[in-house]
Amino acid sequence: MEESDQAIRRAVLDGDKDAYGALVVRHSQTVFRVAYRITGNEEDAEEVVQETFLRGYQKIADFEGRSSLATWFYRIASNCALDLVTRKKVEATSRVAEEADPEQGEVQVADDKAGPDRLLLSREIEARQQAAMQSLTATERTAFVLRHMEDRSTEEIAAALNVAPNAAKQAVFRAVQKLRRQLAPLWVNT
Amino acid sequence: MNEQSKHLTEEELIDHFYGEDAAADRVERHLKACSRCAQEYSALQRDLSGVKALTPPVRGDGYGEQVWNSIRGSLQPYEPKGWRWPSLGFQRPLALVAACALLMVAAFIAGRVWQRQETPTVAVASDPQAKQRVVVWVLGDHLDRSERLLVALNHASGKDAAEALPIQSEARQLLAANRLIRQSAKQSGDPQVDAALDRLERLLVEVANEPNGLDQADLNRLREEMNTDGLLFDVRVLRSRVPGSQGAGQQPNTAAGVKGVSI
Repeated sequence: MEESDQAIRRAVLDGDKDAYGALVVRHSQTVFRVAYRITGNEEDAEEVVQETFLRGYQKIADFEGRSSLATWFYRIASNCALDLVTRKKVEATSRVAEEADPEQGEVQVADDKAGPDRLLLSREIEARQQAAMQSLTATERTAFVLRHMEDRSTEEIAAALNVAPNAAKQAVFRAVQKLRRQLAPLWVNT
Repeated sequence: MNEQSKHLTEEELIDHFYGEDAAADRVERHLKACSRCAQEYSALQRDLSGVKALTPPVRGDGYGEQVWNSIRGSLQPYEPKGWRWPSLGFQRPLALVAACALLMVAAFIAGRVWQRQETPTVAVASDPQAKQRVVVWVLGDHLDRSERLLVALNHASGKDAAEALPIQSEARQLLAANRLIRQSAKQSGDPQVDAALDRLERLLVEVANEPNGLDQADLNRLREEMNTDGLLFDVRVLRSRVPGSQGAGQQPNTAAGVKGVSI
């Protein structure tokens, strides 16, 4: 499989642009999955997928073969998703500053009068979880998704974020601490 | 104090949860012997198990083809070996300078039109040396300001909230310019500049968007996570490669001069 990836890479560098299509087809699903988990949004994930493969094509000459191409694309995707989340946070911050409406930042969760049924509770948990994820910085969010949802090691996270392993680990710690603080009220009520 | 009497930290528990602790056996033994830590760990397990991975929407078998079709038209074939871009590496700086020049001229023209004033725009647009002077000035100024911000960030104590306000304000102002310059670097295929400005942009975003200002912990985190010392070094290297941006009366250093301008 990996040899085949390398053969495709060589073909691309020899001018066969269409050979790259095979790499795109092979790795699209994985890239979409990680992009969706980091961005939390289907539309943004699609944008990340495209950006990942465009960036991959531009940089494929620099690929040194120290890891597999699958890992390489995975790193680019994490990086693109991080960029996009960062950009969105800046835009959101600007909007909040312009609108200056404190209620807009609050989480809309179901109120207690709606009844104790499980569906409602599950929605409340989901809404809380999403809001808690939004409260993380882009780096913390990406590090946490890679650690918790994608089961990546500290070294892999560090490589994806282009930071030192200790910084990656600290980002995961901070994310866990913030999430626990935000989600604590849920456990009291369940 | 013996090993068993020391309680585990939250970080150790998190490491253990994710199977990343170097001394898993010791932690296990401690958790069996210490009810307080066992309780803490149990709460951590409950909290983290409650955070479910997002399930992405299903993408069919044709998804890869669909992605490929959407980007195919944007890709230019690589030239076969022997004709590849690296042999023209020395032209990359020129390409970036040209791209920046175009950008600055456009901005300049827009500014002049906005002010409804006359001809100096034409004079600048038609004079390549003037264009380059503008570009060099903009790049040099941006890197100077970034360097000052990084130095301030590295020396800020975080004890006084007011101390961080000008740093955050400057970071917000630098952010937009950095993005424009980085895009130009990216378009002209200069990965070194692109990478350095990309790292700078992330730092600027983090600094600019800390909602509660920057306290000591934030500053320490940023310094460690973003490796601001390393970034400062990169910015200084880039700055040294911008011709004439060493300050009045100074010349670019010899090493940079030999390597050529890579911006």
